[in-house]
Amino acid sequence: MATKSKSAKSAKPTTRKTSANGRTSSGKSAPIKASVNGRPAPLAKAPAIYVNQFGIPDWRLEHPEFTVREVTSGPEVHYEISGKLNTPVPPLRESKYMNKDQHLALYRWMLMNRRMEVALENLYKQSKVVGGVYFGLGQEACSCASAFALGKDDWFAPMIRNQGAQLVRGFHARDIMMQYMAKAGSPTHGKDGTSHYGDIEKRQMVAPISMLGDLLPVMAGVSLGARMQGRELACLTWIGDGGQSTGVSYEGINFAAVRKLGLVLIIESNLWAYSTPTEYQVNVKDLANRAIGYGMPGVIIDGTDACQVYDATYEAVERAHRGEGPTLIEAKLMRMKGHAIHDAAAYVPKEMHEFWRTRDCIDRFQKYLIEKKWLTPAQDAELMAGVEKEIDAEREFAENSPMPEGHTAAEGVYCDGTCHAIKPKYAMPKKARRSEGKLKETEAAIHFK
Amino acid sequence: MPQATYLEAIRQGLWEEMESDPTVFCIGEDIGIYGGAFKVTDGFVHHFGPQRVIDTPIAESAIVGAAFGAALTGMRPVAEFQFMDFIGCAFNQIVNMVAKSHYRWGAPAPLVLRGPCGGGVHGGPFHSQNPEMYFVHTPGMKVVAPSTPADAKGLIKSAVRDNNPVLFLEHKFLYRRIKDEVPEGDYTVPIGKARLHRPGRDLSIITYAAMVHTAQEAAELLAKEGIEVEILDLRTLLPLDREAIAQTVKKTNKVILLHEDTRTGGLAGELAAIINEEAFDDLDGPIVRITSLDTPVPFSPPLEHFFLPKVEDVVREARKLHAY
Repeated sequence: MATKSKSAKSAKPTTRKTSANGRTSSGKSAPIKASVNGRPAPLAKAPAIYVNQFGIPDWRLEHPEFTVREVTSGPEVHYEISGKLNTPVPPLRESKYMNKDQHLALYRWMLMNRRMEVALENLYKQSKVVGGVYFGLGQEACSCASAFALGKDDWFAPMIRNQGAQLVRGFHARDIMMQYMAKAGSPTHGKDGTSHYGDIEKRQMVAPISMLGDLLPVMAGVSLGARMQGRELACLTWIGDGGQSTGVSYEGINFAAVRKLGLVLIIESNLWAYSTPTEYQVNVKDLANRAIGYGMPGVIIDGTDACQVYDATYEAVERAHRGEGPTLIEAKLMRMKGHAIHDAAAYVPKEMHEFWRTRDCIDRFQKYLIEKKWLTPAQDAELMAGVEKEIDAEREFAENSPMPEGHTAAEGVYCDGTCHAIKPKYAMPKKARRSEGKLKETEAAIHFK
Repeated sequence: MPQATYLEAIRQGLWEEMESDPTVFCIGEDIGIYGGAFKVTDGFVHHFGPQRVIDTPIAESAIVGAAFGAALTGMRPVAEFQFMDFIGCAFNQIVNMVAKSHYRWGAPAPLVLRGPCGGGVHGGPFHSQNPEMYFVHTPGMKVVAPSTPADAKGLIKSAVRDNNPVLFLEHKFLYRRIKDEVPEGDYTVPIGKARLHRPGRDLSIITYAAMVHTAQEAAELLAKEGIEVEILDLRTLLPLDREAIAQTVKKTNKVILLHEDTRTGGLAGELAAIINEEAFDDLDGPIVRITSLDTPVPFSPPLEHFFLPKVEDVVREARKLHAY
């Protein structure tokens, strides 16, 4: 009992380093080290992996078959779901790469993610939030476990629902709360809200914009810039089944594939793009199939299984570190709230919501840890109490922060050289002097004269 | 002083910046072994290597996005648009991702977006456009449009060294038509400063890019009639040199605003507003606009000739304004 309690305690991250997973920064709590030379030996014997008709591996332990269609009945048009909805909830797939402490640390991040969003909802109801609130309910495993699989120097760019990833990578809940509350102390000092902030200095987070897909070429470019400075880094970002419809998504993924850049792309197939179901977004069952068209590896995972999310991301990150190019991971799951807080998601068929509710990523992970005897109900309660306490303190800090002064709106459009110095983050690129000599005048024919 | 064409001057400036700063690299379509559609980077790949002269798929959003991503790691990318008309394909990436990044989250975006713009070469609606105003209207951008080889070289070097996204407009009509003196050694021309192209007494023409040369031809004709025209070459369109604009108006009291871009929403409107704010009491006549038509750039030579502002248009309007 005493040892178990100690494990649970040691799983609680005490510092806010980006190496919260202990993956690459210290070997103490992580016997498995990220390595470019070889894979760590698998910790567990995994069930066989299903391969879909296009040869894409599908790690899921269930393959739900259902379809959402627009149906006209009487005066109304609504969505109806058909298929097998009463299938049993599958077990989690054992992680090949995470040890016990990492499981427990990850579990805590997922709790933090959910509890923070509850706090945000309460702040909204108290009219303390400017604008709306976006939730990642049901997607905490996908946000947290993927970010948890990154190495210390890797980059990431969250989408609106990946708030947990920001916590895992070292931001405070107060940062996100202050963004929503438009406070002076927020990372953008009130210039932008929600997850629209970043940090190129310490935490390697690229700020998203509201337009979907534009981050993909940017993350490919981060990998390109790092490569010129002698580093092969993983650049993780997420996109929805809706967001990947944009043309720039194709441009970004294709460029990463052509140049074998370290893009780690998780398509969160969360079944609803605002109010439009996947069936009216794309005409393929598995978006991971598109990896074939891009000429890169693709894999399908259960996005509500934290172990699958971690392992798939881990392998993609390793690939990126070896300079072998991008990976497309399709995580199947469902967005369990509306697009934003104003949206009650009344368009979602009730039985569909119920199917996914029973597959809640945190409930399943909790049950898994308890069954493995890595966590007792008492330790679980203690962990939750600690999370609540921390979130309360973060909320209090955020609430007490001042609003920005109006005149600061005029500041910061340009970098005048005094605010930022531009210098290579990793190393000065080496000059490849391939030919002697000077610039010669060009005499070649040109397109228009 | 050595002479160089407008094209060679840009090539020299880029080459020198790449020589002196290993964080500078070029990215774009067909810029490597082929050397670019207009040969601006001809030979660069052999000297600097394919890591620093990167050919991309035909994907303008990917070019700008990747350049921005690399800039976040401290690089100074120079992205080429094969023709500036294609900048529309990357509009969102430039306007929403790049231009707002320093304001929103304090991430500088030291990239240069460069390429050929402008008409007069019978390129038709998609190889002749002047897209400056989309970006002059975008806070966070800088927009540069040189008219001489010396300015082109000095400004491309400044653009590379600037910590902000700079749209560098190269007028393709000038590439090999204009040859002039270029100072020796490493020099820069500051972004945001206009240049007095020709001093004069009777009226001012405020213009930029290829139209500087149209204005010059007109000024030479008008001089024979005793009308001394002053020409102010803006060189930078964002931020505008308000002081130089006010100064020339205060000197001659009459002003023609001339640009090759289309009329409605063109820079002349903004210039007129600045003159109104800075030098209204100094005006002795109406502010005159000479621009191209509010149409796409037509293809057939007679149509394009009709579309573009011409020397005779400038002469006619200058006579009228002089007599006012």
